[in-house]
Amino acid sequence: MASTYTPQVTGTGFKARVQKVGGYLAGMVMPNIGALIAWGLITALFIPVGWIPNENLAQLVDPMIKYLLPVLIGYTGGRMVHGQRGAVVGAVATFGVVVGADVPMFLGAMIIGPLAAYVLKLFDTAIEGKVRPGFEMLIDNFSAGIIGGAFAILGKLAIGPIVEGLTKAAGNGVDWLLDHSLMPLVSVLVEPAKVLFMNNAINHGVFSPLGVQQVQEQGKSILFMIESNPGPGLGLLAAYLFFGPRSLRPSAPAAMIIHFLGGIHEIYFPYVLMKPRLILAMIAGGMAGVATFMVTGTGTVASPAPGSIFAFAAVTARDGYVGMILGVVIAALVTFGVASLLLGFGKLKSDQELDPAEEQVADEAEIPHQRTADTAAGNAADTTGHSAGSERAAEGTDRAGTDSNRKENA
Amino acid sequence: MATINGKDIRKLVVACDAGMGSSVMLASTLRKQLGKSGVTVEHSPVNSIPADADLVVCHSGLAARARSVAPSKPIVPFQVFLGDPAVTKVVKAIQQGTDLNV
Repeated sequence: MASTYTPQVTGTGFKARVQKVGGYLAGMVMPNIGALIAWGLITALFIPVGWIPNENLAQLVDPMIKYLLPVLIGYTGGRMVHGQRGAVVGAVATFGVVVGADVPMFLGAMIIGPLAAYVLKLFDTAIEGKVRPGFEMLIDNFSAGIIGGAFAILGKLAIGPIVEGLTKAAGNGVDWLLDHSLMPLVSVLVEPAKVLFMNNAINHGVFSPLGVQQVQEQGKSILFMIESNPGPGLGLLAAYLFFGPRSLRPSAPAAMIIHFLGGIHEIYFPYVLMKPRLILAMIAGGMAGVATFMVTGTGTVASPAPGSIFAFAAVTARDGYVGMILGVVIAALVTFGVASLLLGFGKLKSDQELDPAEEQVADEAEIPHQRTADTAAGNAADTTGHSAGSERAAEGTDRAGTDSNRKENA
Repeated sequence: MATINGKDIRKLVVACDAGMGSSVMLASTLRKQLGKSGVTVEHSPVNSIPADADLVVCHSGLAARARSVAPSKPIVPFQVFLGDPAVTKVVKAIQQGTDLNV
């Protein structure tokens, strides 16, 4: 099966590894976004600076962020490692790090939940088949109880204080970036990583834990808006609509709706990967957006996930609407401008064909037998390599265009 | 190189990073297109592709991870989320019961 199209059977690449680790972090947070949004909405409504301040209901805010959300994350992390039993010990262990901590212990939960579950898994594997019939339930219950309890104690005494220190240090780092107006530089890292499918890892693995801490202190956070700003993606797709390769233009409107209104950012990643230089447009737009958010002092009360404009509108802090809308619009315009420039306003002849990079990705996606047929047809294809390849790829994307066209009409 | 016949595909899994966003979108599109064929279309995070999947579809940016999770499964990587030729080929192979090279 290994061939030039499917280079390796095992995913050992650096990118795949980072994606995988990030995927685990995001995998613990993402199933619980509903709870995070519930908390965000309650916070936005009932805290003293909220829409309808209510002291009684505002009592929900603190326990939800300090206890409910970290425990859910520890529970989910445990479940990923060792099913329902892992989930239970993960939740119990998480309580050890959250009780008494004065920051939301997302990071602590992400560490101790899976760790406790892993230890239980080791125990379960070690005793498998060695338990006398009739004693299974006794052993199962007490092993989970003892391991969970031990980790709760370990969490309270050791892991909790360390992670609390780390979380506070990271929070101070964020404050430092904000104080020195350096926040926009974060986009230089975020935007490229995002299109390499590390979007969830960044947003939910890194920004969410830091963001909730800021919301708790200041009632809103800019951190939720950095990765999830739908502006740059909208600008990019608009640039493709007007100035992209003709074969790709028809697919842009549908992609814009799915991206901007539906919040599925993944839809625009391929358009960046096809012409990697467009990452500059994404970075420029991202930076412009973050700078606008920062200058206007806006923020959201929870993670707008998915990154749709509707989600943004729902969780924006009460005093932050102008800044939010400005930031999204400016990001879209800047990305559109830079991307259009990089696409030569549709006048670059080379742009109406495909880049070598695109040709390569198109080749990868290709069903091998076609390629074999091509090679069998003679090495002509190889000698004229590039042009033949790009024709073939253009044909493919053309078909892609008409297909999505049809879908839209249907 | 492996070949799978469209008729042997009973369960098609669309995988993405979190299994909550783009895979759900593509899975619902495919479910509509394959409605009459009786093929089950599911979505999942790329780290936990179900063991009974006959064919896995995922973006080429995640293909390396999909292969490490499910080394024995045929995997079809695609480039664009709307009307990718690789995905169209899968749909055709299932609808017409033809062979698909993966």
